Amino acid sequence: MTGTFSSLNTALSALRYQQVALDIASTNVANSSTEGYVRRRVVGETLGAGSVPALWSRSTDVGNGVRATGVERMVDSFLEARARSEHARQSRLDTRSAALSRLESGVGEPGDTGVAAALTRFRSSLHDLANAPASAAARSQVLAAASGVADTVRLQARNVAEEATGQRAQLLAGVAEVNTVAADLAATNRAVAVAKLSDSDSSTLTDTRDRLALRLAELTGGHATVRPDGGVDVDLNGVALVTGQQAATLRIASGVTASGAADGLPVSFVVDPAGTPVPGVPEGMLGAVTDLLDHTLPAYAAGLSDIAQRLADAVNAQHAAGYDAAGNPGGPLFGYDPADVAGSLAVVITDPAAVAASGLPGGVLDAGNADLLAGSLTVDGDYQRLVNGLGTEVASVQRQAGAQRTLTTQVDTSREQLAGVNLDEETVNMLTAQHAYEAAARVMTTMDSVLDTLINRTGLVR
Amino acid sequence: MTTSRITQNMLSRQALSGLQNGLGRLAKVQEQLSTGRIINRPSDDPTGSTSAMRLRASVTAQQQYARNADDGIGWLDHADSTLSSMTGQVRRARELALQGANSGSLGPLARAALATEVDQIRQGLIGDANATYLGRPIFGGITSGGTAYDATGTYVGVPGAVNRTVADGVRVRVDVEGPTVLGPAGDSVFDHLAALSTALRAGDAAAISTAIDDLGVDGDRIIGTQADVGTRTSRLERARTAAQDAELSLTASLSEIESTDLPKATVELQMQEVAYQAALAATSRVMQPSLLDFLR
Repeated sequence: MTGTFSSLNTALSALRYQQVALDIASTNVANSSTEGYVRRRVVGETLGAGSVPALWSRSTDVGNGVRATGVERMVDSFLEARARSEHARQSRLDTRSAALSRLESGVGEPGDTGVAAALTRFRSSLHDLANAPASAAARSQVLAAASGVADTVRLQARNVAEEATGQRAQLLAGVAEVNTVAADLAATNRAVAVAKLSDSDSSTLTDTRDRLALRLAELTGGHATVRPDGGVDVDLNGVALVTGQQAATLRIASGVTASGAADGLPVSFVVDPAGTPVPGVPEGMLGAVTDLLDHTLPAYAAGLSDIAQRLADAVNAQHAAGYDAAGNPGGPLFGYDPADVAGSLAVVITDPAAVAASGLPGGVLDAGNADLLAGSLTVDGDYQRLVNGLGTEVASVQRQAGAQRTLTTQVDTSREQLAGVNLDEETVNMLTAQHAYEAAARVMTTMDSVLDTLINRTGLVR
Repeated sequence: MTTSRITQNMLSRQALSGLQNGLGRLAKVQEQLSTGRIINRPSDDPTGSTSAMRLRASVTAQQQYARNADDGIGWLDHADSTLSSMTGQVRRARELALQGANSGSLGPLARAALATEVDQIRQGLIGDANATYLGRPIFGGITSGGTAYDATGTYVGVPGAVNRTVADGVRVRVDVEGPTVLGPAGDSVFDHLAALSTALRAGDAAAISTAIDDLGVDGDRIIGTQADVGTRTSRLERARTAAQDAELSLTASLSEIESTDLPKATVELQMQEVAYQAALAATSRVMQPSLLDFLR
């Protein structure tokens, strides 16, 4: 049999439980658009009879109400892990695509302002000079057009160099952010462990933990493992960055100096304080920047320099074979610094009369060499291949980023399906809790009335 | 995509990304329409942009070839008219010589008058031989001086070819070297005219007859050169036509690769606009209602 007042207690437990349910619903609604928030659900448990199996003891209780045993975060750790790896890939492709698109728009091809157009104008000016070797205007025009070629090549080389500078700055900022996030994650790990020990609700801390782990994955592609104490460990290609409550420091070992300059070596990372080198190239934003700095940008710059050098050498050789207006052999037309050809290409002749248009000595008005000079401009094809290579790469990385975007969205949607807050659902939960609360209150009133009858009315004779 | 549970966040995120994509496609078409080009950067179509760059270079080259041919035709036309005038003058000199050969009927005074006219023809021919085009003597080869012959009829030009490139690897000579048309030094038309003048004054019938023969050879040589000039002119004209045709067809190919197909882009703009508006309308309908609207 139940005790006289136990039904009141049952009703009280129901009131308490529904209160928690209302709280949870209101928290869910309040955080419906908070980044990284995972929807909660209250987990109830029926308070049964004290059914300890014993020989002479038995209970006839039918139930003592309900209690909230905890709050469940609606999350799937496999989906979280998947989201981290997809976000890491996405961030790598996005960073790469953004940088290459910037580089590409600086190339200015196909159009009237790029290197190809300047080369064409240079060739035309040489033909005009061949038509009128006596004309000072045609000679000046050749020098101006040659400067146009040198200027556009230099401009493009500077674009590449500036992109590299920007990427180095981004790498420094990225590493700083990695270290901040890693330290935050270690602190959160500690808080989660303490909360677990003291058996308090750690849901909010776990939300923070997952958000930080996701950010670390986006930055570095760091691989996260959940610890038994509720924290997560993060490693970069096998080198531990965050271990429980300890955060190590990521440092750029080579490639970029602290001031953001290049040191000529490939980019590499170490994890301090142990100084363990990170093997391979990380995923995520740092991986994309490393790849750009180590391969893509130097390869384009080298291709451009190669073209500039072959252009300058071919033109200079042909120019030296001719004779200028005064009949002297031609000097070099283009000058460059062998260490950075594309960045230093310039026209060294300033006197229009020094253009060696003539193929014969003696100051005669021959134009054979101007014709041959026009024929010596053979780098168009190589330049077109260089630009084509860049265009193909940009188109390819944009396609990849688009495909990855679909996959990432898919995973995010799956996560959102489970973890997202549906307002209608919460409204229904709220209504259910409200009605249950009202019903429990009604139970109390009923019990009150029953007890009133029992205590005050029983045995009374009117 | 099978979805078991939809949340408001999912709806709004999908709506936003859908609207973004729609706006992105709209912006792409708008860029194509406003720039008039499909290929605005190499990645829009890497192969197409390489072709476009190659075609652009070819178009400019063909324009240049046409310009070169124009310039060459200018040279040759000028040479042609000068040679016509020379032919006339040499023929006139030969007529005078023929008159002078009838020594029986002419007195010394009349022969001196003939000789004076021959001298004037010689001066006129020297003037013609120094004809210039854009400041350069057309019979002077590659001389940097302003004349091909000095006042005494001596060649002062520098032998050498003035060429015009009128197609890839095709060069056409546009000048005429003085000695090839007027005869080598010592045997030139000027020497023959001087000899004729002397012979007329002296009444030397044999020398006059030699001069008549020589001037006949000179006249034939000038006419022969003129025919050669005509051949070269027609070569240049053909080359110019070919370059202009090539420029047209290359420009057409370039525009096919690079330029926006206006009707297509306009239709696409219209379609994307409709799609974007539909997405906006759908979003506004979907985002509005919630259960709360129906609870009292």
